[in-house]
Amino acid sequence: MLRHAAQRLLLALPVLFGVLLIGFLLMQVVPTDPATVRAGPQATAEVVAAIRTELGLDEPIWKQFVLYVARLAQGDLGVSIINNVPVSQELGSTIGPTLELMFASLVWSIPLGIAMGTVAAYWRGSFIDRIVMAFSVAGVSVPVFFLGLLLIWLVGFQWQLLPFTGRGGPLWTLDGIKAVILPAITLGGVFVGPVARMTRTAVVDALSAEHVRTARAKGLSEGIVVRRHALRNALIPVVTLIGLQIGFLLGGAVVTETIFSWPGVGRLAVGAILSSDFPMAQGTIIVLSAGFIVINLIVDLLYGALDPRVRQS
Amino acid sequence: MRAMLRRATLAGLAAIGLGGIAQAQAPARNQIVIMREIDADRYDPHRSTALATGEVMTMLSDTLVAMDFDMRTIRPLLAERWEVSQDGLVYTFHLRRNVTFCDGKPFTARDMAFSLNRWIGRTQPRITSPVAWRAGDVKEISAVDDHTLRYELNRPFGELLSQLTLFFASAIDPATVERLGDNFGVQGFNGTGPFCWGSWTPRNELVLNRHQNYRWGPDFYQNRGPAHLERVTWRVIPEAASRVAALQASQADLTQYIPAAFVEPLSRVPTVQRLRQPNYFWDVFMGFKVDKPVVNDIAIRRAVHMAVDRNALVRAVWAGQAEAARNIVNPNAADYDAESDRMVPAFDRAAAIRTLEEAGWRAGPDGVRVKDGQRATFLLYAINTLDNQRMGEIIQQALRQVGIEMRIQLFDATVAWGRLATQEFDAFFLSYPYVSATDALNLYWHSRNRPTPNRMNWADPQTDQWLEAGRSALQPEERARYAALIQRQLAEQAPWLTVARTQLNLFASNRIQGARAHGLYGAGIYKGLDIRTVR
Amino acid sequence: MTTAIEAPRKPSVLRMLMRDVGGTISLVLVVLILLTALLAPWISPRDPYETDLLAIMQPPNETYWLGTDGQGRDILARMLYGLRVTLAMGLASLIFGGVIGAVVGFCAAYYRRADGTLMRLMDILLSFPAILFGLALAAIFGPGETSVVIALSIATIPLMARIVRGSALVVMGLDYIEAARAIGMSDARLIWRHLAPNCLSAIFVFSTLRLGQVILLGSALSFLGLGAQPPLAELGAMAAQGRNFLFIAPHISVIPSVGIFVIVLAFNLLGDALRDALDPRLRI
Repeated sequence: MLRHAAQRLLLALPVLFGVLLIGFLLMQVVPTDPATVRAGPQATAEVVAAIRTELGLDEPIWKQFVLYVARLAQGDLGVSIINNVPVSQELGSTIGPTLELMFASLVWSIPLGIAMGTVAAYWRGSFIDRIVMAFSVAGVSVPVFFLGLLLIWLVGFQWQLLPFTGRGGPLWTLDGIKAVILPAITLGGVFVGPVARMTRTAVVDALSAEHVRTARAKGLSEGIVVRRHALRNALIPVVTLIGLQIGFLLGGAVVTETIFSWPGVGRLAVGAILSSDFPMAQGTIIVLSAGFIVINLIVDLLYGALDPRVRQS
Repeated sequence: MRAMLRRATLAGLAAIGLGGIAQAQAPARNQIVIMREIDADRYDPHRSTALATGEVMTMLSDTLVAMDFDMRTIRPLLAERWEVSQDGLVYTFHLRRNVTFCDGKPFTARDMAFSLNRWIGRTQPRITSPVAWRAGDVKEISAVDDHTLRYELNRPFGELLSQLTLFFASAIDPATVERLGDNFGVQGFNGTGPFCWGSWTPRNELVLNRHQNYRWGPDFYQNRGPAHLERVTWRVIPEAASRVAALQASQADLTQYIPAAFVEPLSRVPTVQRLRQPNYFWDVFMGFKVDKPVVNDIAIRRAVHMAVDRNALVRAVWAGQAEAARNIVNPNAADYDAESDRMVPAFDRAAAIRTLEEAGWRAGPDGVRVKDGQRATFLLYAINTLDNQRMGEIIQQALRQVGIEMRIQLFDATVAWGRLATQEFDAFFLSYPYVSATDALNLYWHSRNRPTPNRMNWADPQTDQWLEAGRSALQPEERARYAALIQRQLAEQAPWLTVARTQLNLFASNRIQGARAHGLYGAGIYKGLDIRTVR
Repeated sequence: MTTAIEAPRKPSVLRMLMRDVGGTISLVLVVLILLTALLAPWISPRDPYETDLLAIMQPPNETYWLGTDGQGRDILARMLYGLRVTLAMGLASLIFGGVIGAVVGFCAAYYRRADGTLMRLMDILLSFPAILFGLALAAIFGPGETSVVIALSIATIPLMARIVRGSALVVMGLDYIEAARAIGMSDARLIWRHLAPNCLSAIFVFSTLRLGQVILLGSALSFLGLGAQPPLAELGAMAAQGRNFLFIAPHISVIPSVGIFVIVLAFNLLGDALRDALDPRLRI
């Protein structure tokens, strides 16, 4: 168990280094000179030169990398080229809404997906199974933006039921809940399919396992057999697989935030890239990657703790 | 198993139910949301010329004089009266008393002198406003005493007062400028306007709070201050469709950023009011860099004019909410010349092809014309807006039919201005507001204004001379004569294709009352003193 | 993985596919999609860039079967050409990423000493979701089709490497590989003649499923403005442009969105059916 954890942590280090390197290289290979951009169109050559020195752009490249990592370690991600706002400040204000959106999407899609997968596995081969499987294939095939646009058009515009522009407030307020519903349905909607599919596979495996047959033979009720024996065992791989699908969710989140003007990291990232705000783009990419690595690590460790097979190895 | 399903169903029903309940809740009284398409890079009147800055700046601060809704009459604002010397060189402004900044500090003539001097680059650290020339050829701006300001010019400038109504001439607090340094207008602001800086999350929203002591609003408002509204939130919603729907659903209250295609349908919605401003000059044009290959050929430029059906284009892109244009100046603007309107090459595809053939541009193997080994291709830069996208693609197609290739590159608004200041491109789309022909021509065609705003690199001694003569002319007829000469010269040379004359449509939800479309420098709202919520 | 050593023969795969309703439908759909994309210039009713300024945002009618967009362009023509671009972007990423990934996978399986290092490298790549590659590449090279293709290729490499390594390892354990080695068969020949054929079914199934995902991702990036740029006809970019007119002419964005959905669905269904036909125990 400890060895597994140590291994995972060790693996996370080069990954983290890779993130830093990519972030750094991003600033190196961009076609625009950051100093010129920051100085603005009216700047003289001296102003640009002064800014170059200030940013350390005249140092040798390895030293720039060291400087950059040192700055990062202090939480200094630089300032936006566009408006001089510290990148860390903008990230700080956008990370909350992103987590909020993810939470609101997962809180309904995971239970629904698990329920659907279990039903499909239990009545395997039946009409219900087919419906569930068709639904989940459709779910992984539908573009997130299509779902979002349909909801905006129907629920937001035609029926005028719910807002679809931005965040209404914290999740514990009515406005906050109101505003998060459509984005959460959109993002969660594409997640139900994969969860149902994974659950189905896992439960089918679990149902055919030895101890489940024993439990049935003992005459335990079907509900108890499914809940206590099959589902509980199936949940371990399902939880892990859900964790590994976070990347998929992240992609959806970027699109969902953009469509619903949700003030999250994804929308910030897209905006920064489109406006060539390189420090901001770099900051968002580093934070998104780091977040993703941390989640992966937690899932990995959790998996190790839950699954005896991994524990032994 | 079944219990689980039941729980899931309940959760789903609860979610739908909540939506229904949530709908009933109304926003707070006297707090409104104004929607817009893009954010400004910063809120410093001397470092930004964007409309996104200007529309907020008119609320955050005041100018010496105000522009009335007729877009002609100059009204007192921070200056309660003023005198002009016989030779037109010295302006003396007598400032209103008891005016304070948002932080409570009294406003004096020294603060005004500082603000104006900062605009024209005469304070330390030096700021270079791209539009310093709008202040005229200044000799000295100084405070005589706490309430008297002396504005001295080297040469007369007939348009000084109307220029001083623009947001660049806003009063700002020197102490705050010094304290915030580079972050002035980013982390805070201190002005004399009806609203004060609350908080800003860039590209998301800017919150303004009522300036409680404000009593000095311009007299064309019924309410001179303080404002009825306690809080104004400027929210950035980049998607046009979302803005339309938000207005309809009363999730936001005011916006001037409704694409033309939506104007008619939205006007029919009973819960939405449409406010118009007929005295509005904001033109959309395509400019050519006249010293770059291909577009330096007058035949190409005239052929472009003849290849583009402006009437059809404007109908398609602006859905009847703009007028197709020909001459550089709007027929309703002062010093417009009707003769040059007739001289601008009109739409005639056959004539375009003929012009190109006569100039030696022969059809090439890939459909693009060639002359002396040079392909008839040019690169266009523009801001990435829906209108520019659509206009670009339509013009691109029209030019392809006469054998000219136009490559388009669109940039996000935040970077576009920087790219548009370079020499990397051959043509560009922009749009701009102006007050009169003289104003418009001075802005773009003086050789001194290269590389921006004279992005055409137009450097013609004759034009310069006419511009100078017109600027200093004390008689209106004389000024009009010079303006006409320039308009005719430009019609002949075709360095710019005026596409459309747009309209100002301010849309308001039925939750608010008292909104009126102003439109100075494009800003639809101006001070917003009369606006109040009705529920 | 099974211990099947012979490469599956095509006719039997086809027959097995056709036995399943989903398989048949998806196969027909995929063939239709590919044919349409190939024949677009010949079957398109008009030029996808031609603007008819008198017919802006028209709903589907007799002249314009799928209506016109905001610039009066024929949506049907743009769909046909857009299908090509979308598919080309997907296929290019799949081929670039797949080939590199397969080489890495074979090497990892065959040269056991390199296995650890190679697979750790793949794990690192796998640590980033594809969308992040998309964002990073767009930030570096600027938005465009090239950035999208590079990003999706990189994201495909580790997945393909894992699949190939897994399948190849099973074969590696068999005696006859040892025998072939003993008689002095060269490494390259051995991989090509014995390893590769046995991994084909896994590669085939994975590629089909992956193509769907890659198309979905690519169109999402284009939708965000980070991929194909207007006026280029690409389904994601078309949906993005149409979004502006969602409330007055929903068909402009709905039609390309449905198009993407159908394409991705077809590839996903075909992938599932292929897996069931070729090797039901494949966990892909």
